[in-house]
Amino acid sequence: MSPWLLGPVQAALALLLAPGLVGAIRWMKARLQNRSGAPPWQPYLELRKLFAKEVVVSNNASWLFRAAPFIVFGSTVAVTLLVPLLAVPLPFDGAGDLLVVVYLLLLGTFFLALAGLDPGSPFGGMGASREMTVAALAEPTMALAIFALAWSAGSTNLGHIAARVLATPTEALAPGHVLAFAAIFVVTLAETGRLPVDNPATHLELTMIHEAMVLEYSGRYLALIEWAAALKLLVFFTLLGNLFAPWGIAAALTPGALLWAVLTLALKLLALGGVVALVETHIAKLRLFRVPELLSASFILALLAVTASFLLR
Amino acid sequence: MSPELVSQLSVGGSTLVLLAGLAMLWRRGVRAHIGAFTAQSVALAATTAMVGWFTGDWQLWAVAALLLLIKGVGIPILLERMARRFGTERELEPYVNTATSLLVGGLLVLLAYLVTARLVSVSQLPTRTGMPLAMGLVFVSLFVIISRKKALTQVLGFLMLENAVALLAVLGTHGIPIIVEIGVFLDVALGFIVMQVFVYQIHETFESIDVEQLNRLRE
Amino acid sequence: MTAAPFLALLLSPILAAAGALVLPPRWRTASVLHAGLGLISLLAALRFVALVLDGWTPTWGATVLFRVDALSALLAACVAFVAALAALLGPCLGPDDHYTPAQVRRFRVFSSLFAFTMLVAVTANNVGVMWIAIEATTIASAVIVPLTVTKASVEASWKYILIGSVGIALAFVGTVLGYFDFVTLVGQREYALNWTVLLANAPVLHPPVIQLAFVFILIGYGTKAGLAPMHTWLPDAHSEAPSALSAMMSGVLLAVALYAIVRWKAVVTAAVGHQFPNRLLIGLGLLSLAIAALSLVIQRQYKRLLAYSSIEHTGLMCLGLALGPLGVFASMLHLVNHTLAKSMMFFVSGRILDRYGSPEIGRVSGLLRVMPWTGGLFAAGMIALLGLPPFGMFLSKFALVRAGFADGKGWLMAAVLALLAVAFVSLLAHLNRMLYGPAPDGIRRGESGGWAVVPLVACATMLVGLGIAVPAPITELLGRIVEIAGR
Repeated sequence: MSPWLLGPVQAALALLLAPGLVGAIRWMKARLQNRSGAPPWQPYLELRKLFAKEVVVSNNASWLFRAAPFIVFGSTVAVTLLVPLLAVPLPFDGAGDLLVVVYLLLLGTFFLALAGLDPGSPFGGMGASREMTVAALAEPTMALAIFALAWSAGSTNLGHIAARVLATPTEALAPGHVLAFAAIFVVTLAETGRLPVDNPATHLELTMIHEAMVLEYSGRYLALIEWAAALKLLVFFTLLGNLFAPWGIAAALTPGALLWAVLTLALKLLALGGVVALVETHIAKLRLFRVPELLSASFILALLAVTASFLLR
Repeated sequence: MSPELVSQLSVGGSTLVLLAGLAMLWRRGVRAHIGAFTAQSVALAATTAMVGWFTGDWQLWAVAALLLLIKGVGIPILLERMARRFGTERELEPYVNTATSLLVGGLLVLLAYLVTARLVSVSQLPTRTGMPLAMGLVFVSLFVIISRKKALTQVLGFLMLENAVALLAVLGTHGIPIIVEIGVFLDVALGFIVMQVFVYQIHETFESIDVEQLNRLRE
Repeated sequence: MTAAPFLALLLSPILAAAGALVLPPRWRTASVLHAGLGLISLLAALRFVALVLDGWTPTWGATVLFRVDALSALLAACVAFVAALAALLGPCLGPDDHYTPAQVRRFRVFSSLFAFTMLVAVTANNVGVMWIAIEATTIASAVIVPLTVTKASVEASWKYILIGSVGIALAFVGTVLGYFDFVTLVGQREYALNWTVLLANAPVLHPPVIQLAFVFILIGYGTKAGLAPMHTWLPDAHSEAPSALSAMMSGVLLAVALYAIVRWKAVVTAAVGHQFPNRLLIGLGLLSLAIAALSLVIQRQYKRLLAYSSIEHTGLMCLGLALGPLGVFASMLHLVNHTLAKSMMFFVSGRILDRYGSPEIGRVSGLLRVMPWTGGLFAAGMIALLGLPPFGMFLSKFALVRAGFADGKGWLMAAVLALLAVAFVSLLAHLNRMLYGPAPDGIRRGESGGWAVVPLVACATMLVGLGIAVPAPITELLGRIVEIAGR
């Protein structure tokens, strides 16, 4: 298989799996809470329903409101071309590394926040400002954790980072790595709107962060945004799984290796999803003024990750 | 046990000890603080045992056992008893809020790294890699003592300081002479007991363990 | 070397503590026994002084755990002297006493333990053991600071034990760093923490590490010595504690902490030269002197006044250590004088507190009329602390300033003299307020427990003696100390 085909294949696979991941997490949470819950493929049905519905746009909205879903969706899909979902090295290695990935995701968040402000609804504004607070605090942590990983690997290129851990398996348990994992895990919870930062299943507008920004959306716009959110979750999980425990990634582009890569990826996604479901069932949502405390703690974890990698180079 | 593995484990163990110390800045509530201290003492005992295994020095094993017994079990039990007496008090906002405290803690760790750079370059021991973190804990403990308002938390800060010095000693020198070690243990245990008595006294005299009330003696 | 002097010195306080624990406190015999054991300790210390002057360096213990050279002997004598005074003049003496038997017992037990730990600290050869002993002094003395439980004394004792323990922990960091450097060079040794070994190996130790270690040591032991800016516990603790305890703390505990600093300074000077430690000592000493002198102006309680005066004198001593051999001589002479004067002053202030019932300077007046002997002693002590002749402090302060000029630090000495002048004026003003004027109503006149004044008069006489001419044995001893302390 030509290496250039790998990019679109990865993107297609990610698009396919993402809603399933969200559904799986919801299903696991339901089971943990002793409910039967909706089947794991429920989000696919929701997306199909949304694409068929009509779009209602507020009179106060500008071009930004209509453009934002496409920008968000586009940037997130672009990210899937850059993360090591299935194989290393990636065809777009020259174009993007870990920093590009992070800032593409931030681009999406930025436009979503703007779109929340655009129609002039108070809930949208509230959600946008909260989302920006969380993003502003999570950003340095992400950057530092990446720095820690890059230090020990010698480059911010995702492929190189994954390859390094593959080469020396004991690196995976190095203190710097473990701390960076913990820091990025907390950032994942914050950026994808999971408990204890934001409850994805809430219907109380005053407690929403992500949902509040997209309250005004409907129809195919909402479908795109929901899909992008699921994709973002998948990307973060992929980073957590394939950077810190990269076993299973295909080194050669043979069908067998790729199939194995898909299987191990699915396994890692489910495992991480299970952990998140457990965390969400176990912890209550933090009050908003406590969120900076949590994110400061993760910042310190990232800082310690940097010093640990530095000390052991 | 290769020296590289020992280096990694030293840094790992020291990181756990330091994280428990930073947890004192993060979590509120006396119970959480006592839990953090217990975790820290256990991590310290484990690190000491690891160094003991590496050097083959049985005295370090004895020290690790003592650490576990006194600081991992004994002192937390006494602290729990105190917490039951005073734990129901209203949560006090520390002098510096949590997010800022954590950031200051991070800065202190960086400062410790700068200060101990010269130490690490001088030593040949494989365990020296964890020393900056131990020094970081010294500074963080000092910060805890200064910035917290409850007398009980200040006592915990002091105990953490002693843990930090013990970690520094183990990593830098593979253990100080045993007489001194035993003496230090006794001192810390006695000091803690006396401090405990004082906290009770403060509670009886002032009806709370808020250190801000201790402001009658000025100039 | 026989173990007899060591046993006599160190075992007596232990026996005294045991005795106080077991015997009923109000028994005549118990008091006599307690005082007697204190005296035995003092005699043992004087024997050590004699041995050292003869040229011996007595040691004891398998790995040379205890070693008495000139510095140790001098300090042991000071500690034993003040401890004996405290045993003699402490609670449960005379009809004015208002302590309960339980309090008396607690005081006797812990003050004996306090004396024991201080004696171990100055005679230990092992740096680690010295540290353990000094930490133990904090614990032992902190227990009896709140002998009478009031809000003020509880606050004072809490600050004392917290700040003191934190300081000592930092000193331990410094000790560990010093040991770390030694281990890096020579490897682990059982006796590596002995002074003699450290001194011998000092020239090869790494300068950066030793410098860092000294900073921690200075901050740590400086906290115990009452150097600014770590002095905040001192005025509270020394003013709220019972007078006999204050005498021991101000008189000798500060000296013991300074002893630790002197020892480490010798090691550091041998390792990195005298510039670095001297600069630090001058900085801290000057700061302490400044803060103390300025605080003396606004004091309203006489015991706090004395406490700040202790900070001032410790600052002076610290400064003196940095001024070369002449400075070290002056500093150590000042130590002896200060021990005598300050402990005497605290005992006297205890008598004043008993009579007048108030710690405020404003409430105390007409001292000379109410208690002539006590008032006279108070005046004598205060004049001694001011540094006026014929008392010994004059000689030591003069020697210190002269050493400063000889060392080329003219501006520094000018600043010191200015600060001393500020302290002079404020102390004199407070003294006048207390000595003269009409006596308040309802205050009984005349001395109570008159015989208790005798040892204090002896102290004053000794101070005068030191002021007229320093006796040859002391000069000899101080000369040896200068050699030990390094340049």
